[in-house]
Amino acid sequence: MSQDLAGSLQMTERPWHVLTGLRADSTKFPARAKLDGEGIVILRTKTGLRGVQRSCPHLQGTMMNAELIADDTMVRCPLHVFTFKLSDGKGINCPGFRLKVYEIKEENGVLFGRSVN
Amino acid sequence: MDPATDSVLLKGAHVMDPGQGIDRVADVHLAGGKIQCVGSHELTPNTKVIDVSSHYLSAGWIDIHVHAYGTLGFASPDTVGVYQGVTTFVDAGGPGIGVLDQFMELLSDLETTLYAGAFIRPMGLLGLNFIEGDVRTLGEVPITRWVDFAKQHRDLLRYIKCNAIGDYGPGTLKLTKGLAEILNLPLYMHIGEFQLQNPKHLLAPEAFRIAEAGDMITHLYHGNLGQVIDENGKVLPIVRDAERRGVIFDLGFGGYNFSWDVAEKAFAQDLIPHTISSDLQQFNVVRPVKSLANVMSAMIRLGMTLPEVIERVTRNPAHALSLVDLAGSLKPGLPADITVFRVETGDYEISDCYTKVRKAEKQIIPVLTFKNGKRFEADLALAQEENNWFLQIAEDHVPSRARALGERQRSFLSALAGRLSSINWELSSAERLDIEKALELQEIFHEVRGKQGLPLKDALQSVYASFLDQNFTMQIGLLLLRLERPFALQRLRDVSGQRPMAA
Repeated sequence: MSQDLAGSLQMTERPWHVLTGLRADSTKFPARAKLDGEGIVILRTKTGLRGVQRSCPHLQGTMMNAELIADDTMVRCPLHVFTFKLSDGKGINCPGFRLKVYEIKEENGVLFGRSVN
Repeated sequence: MDPATDSVLLKGAHVMDPGQGIDRVADVHLAGGKIQCVGSHELTPNTKVIDVSSHYLSAGWIDIHVHAYGTLGFASPDTVGVYQGVTTFVDAGGPGIGVLDQFMELLSDLETTLYAGAFIRPMGLLGLNFIEGDVRTLGEVPITRWVDFAKQHRDLLRYIKCNAIGDYGPGTLKLTKGLAEILNLPLYMHIGEFQLQNPKHLLAPEAFRIAEAGDMITHLYHGNLGQVIDENGKVLPIVRDAERRGVIFDLGFGGYNFSWDVAEKAFAQDLIPHTISSDLQQFNVVRPVKSLANVMSAMIRLGMTLPEVIERVTRNPAHALSLVDLAGSLKPGLPADITVFRVETGDYEISDCYTKVRKAEKQIIPVLTFKNGKRFEADLALAQEENNWFLQIAEDHVPSRARALGERQRSFLSALAGRLSSINWELSSAERLDIEKALELQEIFHEVRGKQGLPLKDALQSVYASFLDQNFTMQIGLLLLRLERPFALQRLRDVSGQRPMAA
């Protein structure tokens, strides 16, 4: 394995943490939860659960009111329509802004999450 | 129908023209794209009669503060213009001297008359409010270029704008005031810190000190730091002093800039804006601004009478912008710019930019617009359509309109890709922006275009069509800077190598 590739893998392998404050059988979304001590918001998309930071990086509008768009690949803060990719948190119509995004998985009835960016 | 020659009678509306003291039911006759008369008239057999009874009619509305161009602008600025009853609007800071050439090329096809409220920063507004107040982003202010431009395009410029925000002292305001004096234009200042920013020394009071008669201050009723009222809700003496000196106060509703609490306290003390403007842009058209008509409805709810509201979107802005010979009145001989509207009664809600909502009983709805006699059906929903305000780089596909680019445009894109391949750039964060790099990218664009002998409009459209599905327009340096470099180079090469659309 080349050094570059090894470095890159190391960079992307972020640790999983148990998601607290939200049951694995919860049906009401968006939902608040905690990950490694940080409050985040869990969204249910067509491809599964996804976490985002609690408030918009623009003016801190709550992401509990966020809207899923573009076939659930983007999330939009309703305050000023700042829109972010759910894959990497990159601002679409707000260059330079980035939303923290979290992968969420379930194992044996327990939810786990980890940052993707 | 040819608006340049047709004779039209708008029959039976309640006509409001505060400048002429008209507030009654009357007919309005247009012909040859001009107002012929209000009241008695002689019709020719060819005159088309349009029944507008049970409606109101005024001179076409003037919105002194919109964002048509640049990082905040719309794919179709007319959607907040003639399709919302607005016949004249001013871009409040989109272009600066470094991009006024681009501004003129791209917006010359609009139905709505657009003027420039040019920004002191050569690049114009950046659209990133975290750095908008950083004095270092001003760069250089080339006085000679400004003077030369103003000589050639006197009619385009209506004011010079700066932001009275940030923690760098009043120097920027004074610099902009100086430029405005050199150019003999009004100074137009934004007050109100952007939320989350907390400078030690507020510049809003400095704005009121520096402004002279005819200068304008916008966002009168904002609810951020730097308000027009003190902690007890009392209007600041410095605001009153400015008012007495003849400084013009503009509403500038905006996405962050109108608070019901502030408005109600200030209005109760007779601190009232002279002009009603929307500050419409990509980020507030869905909510809370929606349209100038919605902002006018908010002013009715606040306590203004309908004639007071109409005066503030016709006569007063025409005076403030030195446009009395062109707009803001129904005087015979003026361009036939007219707005026909209804005032509906019902149960409505009007939001401010924060969390406050007020119940309202009246709602102003534009119905018909005439621009130089040309008729448009008003449609408030057009501006709200996502493709009008959601500026998204087409990362996963080449916009179909790129196929319509000509041979010379594709050749230009190829040369541009070649020249840019030796340049590195990246957009770092919302807190930092490499404005020098944006300027460098823009210089390269112009250099390549110059070598290719391609007209500016063709060159701009070739880049826009390579990256944007919709017809958004913005500072070319800022567009290039926001693109990921490898993607940008590949896309330019891809489009330049495409086969053109069959004729």
